[in-house]
Amino acid sequence: MSADQRRDAVTAPGFSLNTRKTGSSGWLERPPLDHIVMGVAILAFLIAFPFFNPGYRFLSLAITTGFTAIALYGLALQFGQAGIMSVGHAGIMGIGGYTAAILANQLGIGFWLALPASILLSALAAGLVGLPSLRVGGQHYIIITFCFCALLVIALTNGGDFTGAATGLDVGPIAGPFGINLAKLRNMYYLVMLALVVSLVLTYVIVHSPYGRTLWAIRENEPLARAVGINTNFHKIGVFALSGAFAGAAGILQTYYLRHISPPLYGAFPSLYLALMVMLGGARPLYGPLLGAIIVTFLPEVGGLDPIDSRIAYGVGLLLVILLLPAGVSGGLLGLYRSMIGRQRRAEKG
Amino acid sequence: MVAARLEITGLRKKFGGVVALAGVDVSIDGSGITGIIGPNGSGKTTLFNVVTGAHKPTAGRVTWNGQDITALPAYRIARLGLVRTFQQAMSYPGLSVRDNVSIGFEHGRSIGSTDRRWRSPDEVLAFVGLDGLGEEVAGSMSFGNLRRLGIAVALAADPVLLLLDEPAAGLSDSEAGDLRELILRFPKMGIGVCLIDHDMALMGAVCDHFIVLNFGTKIAEGAPAEVLQNAKVLEVYLGVDL
Ligand SMILES: Nc1ncnc2c1ncn2[C@@H]1O[C@H](COP(=O)(O)OP(=O)(O)OP(=O)(O)O)[C@@H](O)[C@H]1O
Ligand SMILES: [Mg+2]
Repeated sequence: MSADQRRDAVTAPGFSLNTRKTGSSGWLERPPLDHIVMGVAILAFLIAFPFFNPGYRFLSLAITTGFTAIALYGLALQFGQAGIMSVGHAGIMGIGGYTAAILANQLGIGFWLALPASILLSALAAGLVGLPSLRVGGQHYIIITFCFCALLVIALTNGGDFTGAATGLDVGPIAGPFGINLAKLRNMYYLVMLALVVSLVLTYVIVHSPYGRTLWAIRENEPLARAVGINTNFHKIGVFALSGAFAGAAGILQTYYLRHISPPLYGAFPSLYLALMVMLGGARPLYGPLLGAIIVTFLPEVGGLDPIDSRIAYGVGLLLVILLLPAGVSGGLLGLYRSMIGRQRRAEKG
Repeated sequence: MVAARLEITGLRKKFGGVVALAGVDVSIDGSGITGIIGPNGSGKTTLFNVVTGAHKPTAGRVTWNGQDITALPAYRIARLGLVRTFQQAMSYPGLSVRDNVSIGFEHGRSIGSTDRRWRSPDEVLAFVGLDGLGEEVAGSMSFGNLRRLGIAVALAADPVLLLLDEPAAGLSDSEAGDLRELILRFPKMGIGVCLIDHDMALMGAVCDHFIVLNFGTKIAEGAPAEVLQNAKVLEVYLGVDL
């Protein structure tokens, strides 16, 4: 363990969020109060959002933010908990998206039955794509995931009628339960937000369960983890699969929101964007991925940037974040919040 | 049950051109306290690394209670009760002390078993003298306590044979005294010990058997008093006060 690691472990804001207080006394720690308050506030906002008359454009952006954030929670597990970044995450979303679209077009299977299939196949694909990471180091692995995306796009483009080739595939609307019309944008919004909340809760549970602790141990000291009996390779691939499951859910939601998908959605560029969002928002703090998705999705609209401008803005923004806020924007905010609380306590004491 | 035994035959390990182990044959009694001594770079740590599966040997064979474990991955070997500590980096620095121990508890030899020596991570912490420190972040502890924690993490995995790599390095005299007491308790609890250390006072006080390595070869073996009279050993340790 280096002195740096030791210092990080104690002081870095992005880390302290996950520092555990209780051990074996409970299966799962209760979330701290500020987490719950924050969660309730976000939930209230998500429910109320459509009532502020956001208009078609903003509601669409909110839906995009929603399924993007779901995918990001997967990538954040992989990057934040297992310490492995990838630029192939959009490709994994594509596995989920195309699974759903192919099932719909070939077998007439709708959203609800396709959902578990999309999640499962994406998890499987992510686990397979993750295998080389057991052998090669981080930077090399990133290149491998990049290649995976490129190959996937080629395969989808040349899949003939089965994948719809370059044109892609269409799907119908989701058959909503209880006669809910999910072709309506507002209802689609609520479905995506429900999935987002589930993803957030799942992430919290995974990170704070004994399983999350095991992942933490592997990340911090792999030789020691092996020496006490942890099957580190199995768990690492497990995280990839979990990460893929999130991407699969995001992929099928995206497919049924867009109603039409084509190969370029899942190439290396969209994957890079996902990686950017995770780093921008922060992978470890619970609300980091959500924040990253919001910033990147809404920035061009709010700031009135054209695609070229926004790419430049992201590039500069990412550099600034990496240099100034290594734990992401949310980590930075969290640090600020902590230091303010600390100052207030000191002031109260005297 | 037959006494646990670790048999090492013809064990070789090369790192590029460096021969760290040049064909070592030893048989270690899994219920006593065996000391492994030798100058710096003689291959002691490498022996632990190869036996516990952290490194694959270039040649040779390791069996544990008759089972060939040479090709097994490290985690499987740990679950068979061969658990080692590390010369450096003994903890998960960002986790709490209690969580460090929980990790061993949740994955070691007795996963799922109710029949264990310690019923909870806190009992292990109390055993090594870290009671009350469960909430500390491991990375912020003093060096002496970090060494204790390293042993606690290994104990939590419920070893049959505990391999300790220089547990006394960097400890104060009083801490080394505590360590000695601790190690002497293991055999009575049914935990065998294999111990590497340069602290000859400690080694002499606790070990019932010595194995001496030099340049990756075993040059002597036997009762401590005899081994320390051995001409080859004296030559290796020339000028060092045994
Ligand atoms: N991972 C490695 N890569 C390359 N060479 C290594 C590696 N590990 C050990 N060696 C070499 O193997 C030889 C034996 O090293 P080892 O660490 O086993 O010695 P040691 O007896 O434990 O020494 P010390 O008392 O200093 O801890 C040394 O020459 C060392 O440089
Ligand atoms: Mg050594």
